[in-house]
Amino acid sequence: MKFLSAILFVFTLFLTNGESEFRESFSTETYNDILDKAPEYYLLEWKAGTKLSKRKAGLFIKIDSFDDQEVVVMVNENEDPVLYASDISTPVCADGECKLMHIRLYWTLLGEYAGFDTYPKLPLTKHDHDEFRKEDYEKLHKLLADDKSILKRRRLDELVEEPVMRNVNGVDALSGATVAEVKESVVSGALYSCYVAWHLTHGTIRDEIKTHTLSALNANMLIDMLYSTNTDYQLLALEKMDSSQFIEHHLQIVQIFKTAVPLVRSIIAKDLPNRFLDSPELQRPFWEAFSEIDIGSRSLLLKHLESAPSFVSDIISTQLGSMTKNQIIVFLEFLSPKKHSPKLLENLHSFADSENEAYSYLVENYLEEHGQ
Amino acid sequence: MYPFQFRKLLTVYTIFYCCVVYCQDMLIEAESFDNPGGWVIDPQFEQQMGSPYLLAHGMGQPVKNAETKIKFNTSGVYHVWVRTKNWVPGNWEAPGRFQLKIDGVVVGKPLGLRSGWGWEYVDGISVTAKEIDLELVDLTGFNGRVDAVYFSTVKEEPPASRKKLVEWRKTIKAEPNAPPLTKSYDLIVVGGGIAGCAASIAAAEQGLNVALIHDRPVLGGNASEEIRVHTLGIYGNFERILKKLDTEHYPNGSADAKLDQKKRDDNVKSYDNIALFLNHRAYDAKAEGNTIQYVDARHTSTGERIRFIAPRFVDSTGDGWVGYWAGAEFSYGRESVTTYGEDWEEHGELWSPKEPDNAVMGSSVLWGSKETDMEHTFPEVPWAMPVAKKYAKVAGEWQWEFSRPDLNQIDDAEEIRDHMLRAIYGSFYNAKQDSTNTNRKLEWVSYLVGKRESRRLVGDHIFTFKDAKEGRKFPDGVVIETRDVDIHYQTVLESEENPDFISEALFYKTPEYYIPYRSLYSRNISNLFMAGRNFSCSHAGLGGPRVMRTTGQMGAAVGLAAALCKKYNVGPREIYTGYLNEYLALIEEQKFEKIPETKR
Repeated sequence: MKFLSAILFVFTLFLTNGESEFRESFSTETYNDILDKAPEYYLLEWKAGTKLSKRKAGLFIKIDSFDDQEVVVMVNENEDPVLYASDISTPVCADGECKLMHIRLYWTLLGEYAGFDTYPKLPLTKHDHDEFRKEDYEKLHKLLADDKSILKRRRLDELVEEPVMRNVNGVDALSGATVAEVKESVVSGALYSCYVAWHLTHGTIRDEIKTHTLSALNANMLIDMLYSTNTDYQLLALEKMDSSQFIEHHLQIVQIFKTAVPLVRSIIAKDLPNRFLDSPELQRPFWEAFSEIDIGSRSLLLKHLESAPSFVSDIISTQLGSMTKNQIIVFLEFLSPKKHSPKLLENLHSFADSENEAYSYLVENYLEEHGQ
Repeated sequence: MYPFQFRKLLTVYTIFYCCVVYCQDMLIEAESFDNPGGWVIDPQFEQQMGSPYLLAHGMGQPVKNAETKIKFNTSGVYHVWVRTKNWVPGNWEAPGRFQLKIDGVVVGKPLGLRSGWGWEYVDGISVTAKEIDLELVDLTGFNGRVDAVYFSTVKEEPPASRKKLVEWRKTIKAEPNAPPLTKSYDLIVVGGGIAGCAASIAAAEQGLNVALIHDRPVLGGNASEEIRVHTLGIYGNFERILKKLDTEHYPNGSADAKLDQKKRDDNVKSYDNIALFLNHRAYDAKAEGNTIQYVDARHTSTGERIRFIAPRFVDSTGDGWVGYWAGAEFSYGRESVTTYGEDWEEHGELWSPKEPDNAVMGSSVLWGSKETDMEHTFPEVPWAMPVAKKYAKVAGEWQWEFSRPDLNQIDDAEEIRDHMLRAIYGSFYNAKQDSTNTNRKLEWVSYLVGKRESRRLVGDHIFTFKDAKEGRKFPDGVVIETRDVDIHYQTVLESEENPDFISEALFYKTPEYYIPYRSLYSRNISNLFMAGRNFSCSHAGLGGPRVMRTTGQMGAAVGLAAALCKKYNVGPREIYTGYLNEYLALIEEQKFEKIPETKR
């Protein structure tokens, strides 16, 4: 608590005496209204030739003692929103000393952190006034990209205290996760700057940006999202698209299924039969991707065996080596009352005879029990 | 073939052996060995693989031999099988290899090589002695396992399938269905985690004769020194009782858990009317007309069985076993977001899915290492690397957690534990390649699965995230909590670069919230309470109150309710419908230690 009081005390001093000085230094450099190259630290793809223009969005971040910091929307040549940005200037105070941090933050259309630019003449500095080095900026970028960072739920004072530990029978207790996690994720010597930057990025502005985007969402934006590699964009596009759009963009959805993160795949896998109810042949590439996808998504696909097109059994029977024990059991249970095609039987026998497969005995037992 | 000399006849009581048809067959349960040496008894997966077993949990150092004496009535040639499994089948040497020694001589080839639990043939031996010394020799220190050793004059492998094996075991042991010993109590509590301990104390303080059945040698479950998760949550109405049982806020995995272990065990044992059955694992419960008649339990090493009879039972097994056996309704997995209105838009599918699924929070296996003043090597563990990949760590906290859609936290618990062991050994091996860890030594790795979520028994009320979020008040809101609702998910969902054994938590800040008594007894089994993570809730509803002070509150609440059930000879539901005011008054009254008459 003493520590926090000190921060508050100095911050009060700053409010009364230091504001004009800080403002003066900030006004020396601003950014252009056009963005034609990727921000220096950036999470999204940047297509060559992209040119974004600044438009007012009516969004602001409130910083105590300062004017509201405006958040603008950056639009493309069709006037479709692509990014949000804000030139931030905010005080960072620690151990009785305050200074301004200048940074240009970017958000995705859904309010997630997208990246930042720094001002060449106003670099970020650490507690000891040393300027950030390249690796420090990279670490900050990584921290801001973590929307579930430990900084989210902790007060500053909780982040600097060591947990109290006891000693049992001369055996050292293990170190606390919290402190270790903080050290690992923040820039050394710049906890306060990191803390302030993270909370600015992930504050209430996130939801406001998302609301702003959703109110302007159009078909072009949705398609751009579907063809993006950003997980949140993919999820939103998959959620908003109807069955006819699914069929129209079938190849891209297959591509997403092969390359996206398991969370996105799981959405596609769960909904596969419904999406291609009238055109089962379109399911084929999803099943053919079986060995390329994660274990969890494979299990979700296998839940659709009963309603799957007839070609699926043959496909899966070639993939037994990539299946877990339980997945093989599920598949064999599905097969047991059915008539087996010659190709399927051949695949089963080939797997059962394999000497290198850990679970070949399951298929061997199955074939034996079913007299095949 | 190995000839053996006759030795002095000794009476062996602790080995379970049986003779059928001219005493030609003999089954030696590994957990019943006279001296397990450095092997540990692992009863966690009895319901899946059929028995407690011996585990060579040496953290890379071969453990001391397990030893026992076996008495033969008939000399002759015996064929020997061992029930075991290779816990990581693959293109490497099996990690858990071991051998048998008979009268000091190694017999047959290394074992622990087969995929899936089953019998491995050791050799044929010639027995000429009345008694032999049998030893299990661990070759690796990496979790070799032995369920049983079987001697037979006929070279016919015992059955491998689970169903046939159960029958075969009964036959060969000549074991009747009913346990030979029956004991009666006012209340049977199954599961000695914090919830079960609190239920036992609360009921005992009201004068009930309580039996507490627990499958480990120490109490506390996830909070015990064997698993080492600290207790979280508030005390609610039961501070006095819960302070006898909870832990300090040490880091998870800390050896500090040992201090609270003694406090907890001493406190529970101080009640004369709590009959404590440590090292007993319940294996069956029988209900007639929706009323449980008895619970059967077996000693985890001697195999001795007891039938426990009572008018009322508490299921604090965590996995909801008593309810499951008795036919209680239960749920598993995630409900759809619309089932109970449990959405949190910010985290969407990670929090609550559009379509229901089998995803649950995972299990943890905690571990740690320590710096020493001398060099320590750690062997190569190729069988661990497909799991650990390049991850390098020297200790594991709560984030070391595993859940996967194809695995059930109950049916596949052994595979889940084993996956975590691979993660731990592989990550530690990677860390040891860093020269700064030259003197670091693996200090402790749990072999017990610390589960977060499994079966949830269904009560008259299903507690949901919505109840927590809205701070919904109930007339029977006997459990109080302020802790955030936090739900874990595997980080591999967000990137395949992440290890599949590391989780992330999503925290939802709630107001104070309440769990009604109606979530603490079964909807369809008339004499079954539940306390602990298997209480009546949705997946998202479990996110907050799954921590152990909260589950302890549940335990204390049902212990008191059981006392009123006895007083009026009614079932748990009638406490809500007919005696709620008296119940709430009793909860108030128990908050403070009664002053003895002599001191008034």
